Amino acid sequence: MSSPEGREVRIGTRQLRLLNLDKVLYPKAGFTKAQVIDYYLRMSTALLPHLRGRPLTLKRYPNGVDQPYFYEKRCPQHRPPWVRTAEVDGIRYCVVDDLASLVWLANLADLELHVPLSRALSYQRPDQVVFDLDPGAPAGLVQCCEVGLLLRGLFQSLRLHCHAKTSGSKGLQVYLPLNTPGVTYDDTKPFARAVAELLERERKASIVSNMKKSLRTGKVLVDWSQNDPHKTTVCVYSLRAKEQPTVSTPVTWEEVEACARARDPGLLTFDSGAAIRRVEEHGDLFAPVLQRKQKLPRLAPPK
Amino acid sequence: MARPIWSGSISFGLVNVPVKLYSATSPKEVRFHMLHDKDGGRIQQKRVCAIDGEEVPWEHIVKGFEVSKGRYVTVTQEELAAFNPKATRSIDIEDFVDLHQIDPIYYDHSYYLVPDRGAARPYALLLEAMKRTGKVGVGQFVLRTKQYLAAVRPMGRALALSTMLYADEVVDQDELEGLPGSEAKPRDKELHMAEQLVESLAAEFDPKKYKDTFREQVLALLEKKAEGQEIVAEPAEEEPRGKVVNLMDALAKSLAATRKGEAPEAGERRRRPQTERAAARTARAPAARGKAKGKRKHG
Repeated sequence: MSSPEGREVRIGTRQLRLLNLDKVLYPKAGFTKAQVIDYYLRMSTALLPHLRGRPLTLKRYPNGVDQPYFYEKRCPQHRPPWVRTAEVDGIRYCVVDDLASLVWLANLADLELHVPLSRALSYQRPDQVVFDLDPGAPAGLVQCCEVGLLLRGLFQSLRLHCHAKTSGSKGLQVYLPLNTPGVTYDDTKPFARAVAELLERERKASIVSNMKKSLRTGKVLVDWSQNDPHKTTVCVYSLRAKEQPTVSTPVTWEEVEACARARDPGLLTFDSGAAIRRVEEHGDLFAPVLQRKQKLPRLAPPK
Repeated sequence: MARPIWSGSISFGLVNVPVKLYSATSPKEVRFHMLHDKDGGRIQQKRVCAIDGEEVPWEHIVKGFEVSKGRYVTVTQEELAAFNPKATRSIDIEDFVDLHQIDPIYYDHSYYLVPDRGAARPYALLLEAMKRTGKVGVGQFVLRTKQYLAAVRPMGRALALSTMLYADEVVDQDELEGLPGSEAKPRDKELHMAEQLVESLAAEFDPKKYKDTFREQVLALLEKKAEGQEIVAEPAEEEPRGKVVNLMDALAKSLAATRKGEAPEAGERRRRPQTERAAARTARAPAARGKAKGKRKHG
């Protein structure tokens, strides 16, 4: 048992007080704050490169996943002096580059980590394009996999590589790495939109490109609108605030195909333990998203 | 020749060689001044009090050390001067060590030592003796008001002096996160390949080979501007966007390829498992990826 005054820990040269370690944050799973901190600690090597330099939006659940939560863009005032921050559009965000800051966030019950597609220093210049595939019931992860494979096929015929991760909930997110300086959201957003609208035209019965909830029933939304400097997407390896401590987990296209074929969303659902085992076994499957350099194609005017 | 920064003597044992210290480097940074864009006036810096907004003359500026938030203790120039190391005017060599034992991370600034009047002979003797023994003198001396650790070594026709960091000024590697541990030990085969790659790139170090191209470009720009030529800023990236594509055609091609039961052409050329069982296996073990990666051509 930890005392209410908390426990003093040292991470490198940094001192940190961890509070309420026994507090259960996922009641159905009996998953405590100590386990949340332990998860982020063990995932840090794979996770930190994906947070590096990006202004972070916190999603905090001080009393657990079934109690009120709040988004926090402004980096908390009472932060330790060594937590890095960056000002973007008048808001001072946390920028997490190191283990101690990550543990500090976990201690704030910041279960979910949300990041934009660009870094604080080049905020208008995304280094990735994302397609957030979000199903409307009764459609689910299996249908997202089918749409993901369509996207992958499209990009393959454009000789581009793309990578998939689960949202940690019911969706799938497909990332197109760019890592080419000079690309702006004015390039990526219309591109993503054109792709989404094309898929919708080709698969009217199963795909929508419009955000409106009522249109989504039984279909998959190909959400292109997150390619925007003011939007964030859940970071790879972030925990999700669901009943179980599930993780936004990178998956291979073979796994996406298998899930679509077996029609079993369970194949692509990973909790904190499974996510850590995968990283231990296979390393960071999402590393190419930060490394691969690709040029965003220009679109020919419609015929 | 520039003025010496310091003069004194190198001393060890009973030997005393009077020398002058000159800077050995002249970094060639392009320096800019701050100007007002409207009228081109130079921007001045004024020291202004945060409380009354008045400009404060130097004689009313004291040094303050923040002991806790908003609380300062002040010290005067005289109080600090009492602790200044005594300007001993001598570089006291304490040890002679092998050059390769000093990691370059310790080196700070580089200087040349030149013999002072009448010291040419003992200077030449010291230079030659150090060359023959292959040793470097390590000692301490006081420059201005700071005590420095320094290495004195023979370099061509002169003795070079490098000021060095003290051990506690170098960041301990234990403070770094993410350094590979024993779990990242490379396999012999990988190591062999990496060694071959390194060997194939091995060359003699030729410092003249490397140029500061950024500085050259900036200087060229400034020269043109000074001559009154019109300058148009060039885009940073030659072309951030790729070629023009037709999405519809690309999708059609991809769908046609899928119908034929074959993946369309892309970077990853490999057969995927066709049976349900093989597919289910790969679902839990994304190892196929690692293999494909190994096969992909580099460069």
